[in-house]
Amino acid sequence: MHENLFASCIQGARAVLGLARTTLADAAGRRGKDAPLSYPGTAYELPVAFGLTDISVSTLAGAGNVLDLAESLVRDGGTAENALDAGAATLLAAEVLGALSHEKGNPYPPPAVGFVPDSILRKLGIFMVDGSVPGVAVVVGKASDPAVAASMVRGFQEIGLLVFLAGDVVSQLDAEGVKLGEEFKTFPLGPLPAVIHAVNFAVRAGLTFGGIGRGQSAAMLAYLANRVKAFVCALGPPDAVALAVAAGAMKAGLTVIADQPVPEIPGLLLSRPAGEEMARAGMEARGIKVKMVKVPIPIAFGPAFEGERIRKADTHVEFGGGRSMAYELVRSAPPEEVRDREIEVVGPDIPGLPAGTALPLGIEVRVAGARMQRDFESVLERRIHRIVNYGEGTMHVAQRDTTWIRIAAEAVEKGFALADLGMMLYAKMHADFENIVDKVSVRISTREEDVLAGVAGARAVYAERDARARTLTDDAVEEFYSCTLCQSFAPNHVCIVSPERLGLCGAINWLDGKAGYEITPTGPNRPVAKGAVLDPVKGAFEGINAFVRENSRNTVHEMNLYSIMEAPMTSCGCFECILAVIPEANGVMVVNREFAGQETPCGMGFSSLAGSVGGGVQTPGFMGVGKHYLLSRKFLGAEGGLARVVWMTREMKEHLGEALRERAAEIGLPGLIDQIADETVAKTPEALVSHLAKVGHPALGLPPLL
Amino acid sequence: MTVALPEQRFPGRVLQVTLPAGPGGTPVTVGGQNGLPYAPEGDRPNRPAVGMEVRSGAEELPPSLEAAIGSLAGDPVALARRCVSGWGARFLFLSLTGCHPDSGGRSVADGAALVRELLDAVPAPVIVGGCGDEEVDARLFPAVAEAAARPVFLSYAEEKNYRLVAGAALAYGHGLVSWSPIDINMAKQINLLLADLGFPPERVVMDPLTGGLGYGLEYTCSIVERIRLAGLSGDGMLARPVLCQLGDAWKAREASDASEASWGDVGLRGRRWEETTGLACLAAGADLLVCRHPENVATLSGAAWR
Ligand code: SF4
Repeated sequence: MHENLFASCIQGARAVLGLARTTLADAAGRRGKDAPLSYPGTAYELPVAFGLTDISVSTLAGAGNVLDLAESLVRDGGTAENALDAGAATLLAAEVLGALSHEKGNPYPPPAVGFVPDSILRKLGIFMVDGSVPGVAVVVGKASDPAVAASMVRGFQEIGLLVFLAGDVVSQLDAEGVKLGEEFKTFPLGPLPAVIHAVNFAVRAGLTFGGIGRGQSAAMLAYLANRVKAFVCALGPPDAVALAVAAGAMKAGLTVIADQPVPEIPGLLLSRPAGEEMARAGMEARGIKVKMVKVPIPIAFGPAFEGERIRKADTHVEFGGGRSMAYELVRSAPPEEVRDREIEVVGPDIPGLPAGTALPLGIEVRVAGARMQRDFESVLERRIHRIVNYGEGTMHVAQRDTTWIRIAAEAVEKGFALADLGMMLYAKMHADFENIVDKVSVRISTREEDVLAGVAGARAVYAERDARARTLTDDAVEEFYSCTLCQSFAPNHVCIVSPERLGLCGAINWLDGKAGYEITPTGPNRPVAKGAVLDPVKGAFEGINAFVRENSRNTVHEMNLYSIMEAPMTSCGCFECILAVIPEANGVMVVNREFAGQETPCGMGFSSLAGSVGGGVQTPGFMGVGKHYLLSRKFLGAEGGLARVVWMTREMKEHLGEALRERAAEIGLPGLIDQIADETVAKTPEALVSHLAKVGHPALGLPPLL
Repeated sequence: MTVALPEQRFPGRVLQVTLPAGPGGTPVTVGGQNGLPYAPEGDRPNRPAVGMEVRSGAEELPPSLEAAIGSLAGDPVALARRCVSGWGARFLFLSLTGCHPDSGGRSVADGAALVRELLDAVPAPVIVGGCGDEEVDARLFPAVAEAAARPVFLSYAEEKNYRLVAGAALAYGHGLVSWSPIDINMAKQINLLLADLGFPPERVVMDPLTGGLGYGLEYTCSIVERIRLAGLSGDGMLARPVLCQLGDAWKAREASDASEASWGDVGLRGRRWEETTGLACLAAGADLLVCRHPENVATLSGAAWR
């Protein structure tokens, strides 16, 4: 089936080439072969020839050379390669024809504009580089239903695509009242052959914005395929010439979508009905994502509102928080299963609910993306917390199936509904995870039986994730991740984030690092190969040392991941809590940031300790860590682990709660947590030591720290 | 017995960048060195260049500047001429502050027209800075890029807007100042992002954000030094000329407050505040300095011997 198609392309190429030959001969007969040939308003001669060949064209004779080259590209035999080359030949020949037709300027009657000059290219190109013009749609042929074509093109205009039109569709859309012209970024080029001006526009974009020089055809084809996010919508039954042009587009890596039954070539040639499906297929194939400048919701939305608390009296509706069941879940799915921007609300909605209502809630976000990984689901899911808090009048607490959301009366008065909540999630997931997420859909349910069924499924997913997290150990992975975000104020600080040791701010775990790298490969998170294991107990790795050395700019030569005494990790300043050695007690104390007291066994409260620990230097005996590091199997491995902890603020104990007890039990010290002193028991080393002796704390029996 | 002095040699070299001039003007070329400033080793083919800032918006000038440029403050083009022919500025930094909604809110077209006029009036190399309002600048840069009939540098491209500013610069063949907020990693990142877009590196200088004396200068010095050391050690993304905008020096109370008699003459004080800021930047490794006080052009140029 493809063979016939390819053969038609080749046949079409011959036809265009033949026409170009006779037209050129005719012009040469009239004006002489040295007569000048150029398009009006470009610095790139015949752009397609300029970009793809090293033939310089300023005269009719030069154009002859281009046609000679084109001729050599046309070979018999219905293979894909031959068809694509014939496509390239067609573009070259069509470019010659196009230039010949512009001898006296634009040859077409209005509204057709013909060749689009460089001045417009420069103006619009800025927005292509910038991303505010997210892609290019080339619509050619004759629509069987002009109204459908018109609404499709209006859709393109709405999302800011650059649109080129060629063929009968120009007059059809004009008659339909579609706005045409530069202002609308929609260029009616002319009859079908004028589609070459879309091609030479794209080629000039590469020459102007891609830093590509004359004749660098490989670079040009790569630019067209990867940077110019263009697709062709081919309407109506194509003839051989149209097919040849389409082959040219495909040669340049563009996707052609026909509304006719054609044998598909994945990624290059698709068959879809005109309208929404065609548009969706084109945008998907070319990875065109629509940026939302402003999230269309009735309330203000942004980081400024993140800290806002909504008191009970101001709450109109709430979900979860003990009064009802609520959960949230992010799942990844194959692209064909996610319809981007689909926001579905099931069950009673906010408007119309009496004040003080509590409803069950299930939020399920589905994402798809070529670079999305199952492991990132939890990273995206935790972002829901921040996104919901960004709304003015929306508050989010906790996560997973403990989610608690309040909507303020003030937001409800402005007309806030659940679809708006979905829109917030949709828009921010796209914006924040641009590099890994291509499609996002949101389903929000407030129907009891729905939520109950949903939460059961969600819990299974959480359990699966937790199981996976348990298999993620420092020993099991080859790479850790760096975080150098805090170098802005602690210039030589490098956090090494491993599966069993999260960043000291508590905000970045290994998966976050991994996702962070996918999202911004040039950002602060980079994979660091562990390299040879120098000491598994202290956590010394050759690769880590080399990375830290380089990225601390030679100030930190080695770093042991699991030690506080010997070459510990540097501390920037954002640590959730500080570990400090109490020599008298042969152990360490833990004080968290929220602890306001000044009296601890080491004689300093959190803030004074922070002053001496921070700044990105190694201070043996002192270290800032994330709270959850205390639960890790790698916690202070070099010094004997959790058994070293002799003092901990009450708040810390409560915060870590059951998990801390479980961890103590795991290492065979089920009574440890009660043996650890807190501020109510001891405020001085002396009091601490006597307490430890009294309760028989294991640290006293460990090898001396100093 | 003779002792060989240790010599510090670096594997890297700072990329040479030229700010182009108009007909009859002298382009400014900086970079190209493979050593640290004021150190005996290495070659430094280009001296740091000192330029002057010209602002389009109305503002209350500190007394020291009022005395020196006050009479020309309302006429950016006349001031620009004077900077170059009277005071020896090797390049100009035109800040289109007048387009900021809070300081005049002149239209983008006005801003672009001023650029055109200034480029006609002086042949010296020009860097054009936005007004600082994100939304206005998003329209201003494309308009300026189109209006400028000869290549200028646009200032600045940062993480948030680099695609737009780079697009504008690419469209019309201009250069860029890549900006980062006193953060070496972000300084590198923005250059990487520009490289990703295919922006030619020989048309980029970096602005790591300069704090004035007493107001963050030490951070800037540290960052400039570290950028330079990293670049010379082989990190190509940081081996780029560095531009220091000394304008922040004037935000210090010490530079502008006439009410503190015990601090001495405010005219001299302001000028010296900027000068000291500039000297520190030179010592850290800056290649381009932008000052506002006419006399500082000579003093800083005199110190910029490398
Ligand atoms: S403290 Fe957190 S943000 Fe800072 S470098 Fe470490 S992981 Fe990154």
